[in-house]
Amino acid sequence: MVHLVYIGIAACCAGLVVVEMFSEKRWREQLALVLILIPLVLRILHIK
Amino acid sequence: MKAGISAKQHVKSGIVAMHHMRAVGFLVVAAALCVAASADFLAMWSPDEFHPSPALTRIDSLSRYCPSLRGTRADTRIFVYEGAASGPTLLVLGGTHPNEPAGFMAATVLLENIIIRTGRVFIIPQACASGFTCTDPLEGSPQTFSLQTQSGKRIFRFGGRAANVVDQWPDPLVYLHYPSGQQLSGNETRNLNRAYPGRQDGSLTEQTAFAIVSLIREEHVDLAVDLHEAAPEIPIINAIVTHEKGRELAANAVLNLEFENLQFALELSPANFHGLSHREWGDWTPVIPFLMETSNPIQGRLRGTTSEQLIVDGVDPWYLIAGRLGTMRITYDEAGESLSGRVGRHLQALRALVDVYNEEHPDSALVLEGLPGYGELTARGVHQYLR
Repeated sequence: MVHLVYIGIAACCAGLVVVEMFSEKRWREQLALVLILIPLVLRILHIK
Repeated sequence: MKAGISAKQHVKSGIVAMHHMRAVGFLVVAAALCVAASADFLAMWSPDEFHPSPALTRIDSLSRYCPSLRGTRADTRIFVYEGAASGPTLLVLGGTHPNEPAGFMAATVLLENIIIRTGRVFIIPQACASGFTCTDPLEGSPQTFSLQTQSGKRIFRFGGRAANVVDQWPDPLVYLHYPSGQQLSGNETRNLNRAYPGRQDGSLTEQTAFAIVSLIREEHVDLAVDLHEAAPEIPIINAIVTHEKGRELAANAVLNLEFENLQFALELSPANFHGLSHREWGDWTPVIPFLMETSNPIQGRLRGTTSEQLIVDGVDPWYLIAGRLGTMRITYDEAGESLSGRVGRHLQALRALVDVYNEEHPDSALVLEGLPGYGELTARGVHQYLR
């Protein structure tokens, strides 16, 4: 159960990162957000 | 005026469109990187191949002893060998820590070469199967290593110390061992050799430990050996660790090994350090437990290049310097600590333990043949003993 809750939290964080990417105008910050997004996606998909 | 505002709005909307488009571009790049990384990570999910000796009786799975493991990545194969006549039962565990390849490879060589006359042998080459699906973070470890065997090139996985976080996540801040209540750091909650005796409704690692303890109980295992490795600078290497029950047997085996020119330290399992196989198997079941350690440079903090070659050859220039400076408790020279030598140590010590057990129980002996020893493995190489 705790595992599912944490996966849910990771999914919410990934969603927020994507929203933030579209509101962010500077490319460096967008790139930084991409780097945060990749491990979140891999964790949500139970790959890493 | 109106036209001026409109132009500004156009410029503004153009900027918005540009950074939106850039975000989409970055998302496409992220998706591509995710696919590439996934292919790499998922490659570690393919199980290793084993080619058991003709003496194999059957292959079981650990979930037989804890049904909740069925369908999980912690379920693992048990290779069972039964002799023509009854006798004692031996359990050999490799891969408790998947980053200690000599333990896993010694179990593999055993299951691919064993001939059994009397008694039974249970071999679990990948006790922590989940740990074989990932490597440890920040270690830069190779995901696999390969050996040229009789049947061609065989690839073996090199995993992490504990179960994959994908299978058991999140880690608590503090790991409370069941049932002692001993406190350890949170990541130890995925360490199989801190989870014994385990529990049926516990974490995946606790369930794995429970299954192994149940196997020992249900199959009336007499001797159990857990094969490990440690960094060359760690004091407990080239050692046999045992419970009070196995002290005399292990002492005799160490003496016999000394006559064969192989030095092993004898360590007694600390009574107040819980969760370890050599402590909890002995406390919770009738078995006589042993844990063996060899010296593995790829686990060490002094190591240089972390490569497949270091796993197989065990030659590291920085350990060579440490050896010359006399800072290590073992002799480390240009020959290094090869995988063949480490596997040979494990198998020679295993043979010594079984021989002493047989001397003490002449009416009920475990008669094994086909096991290569240290001399054979170092002379011919471990690859020659893999099918």
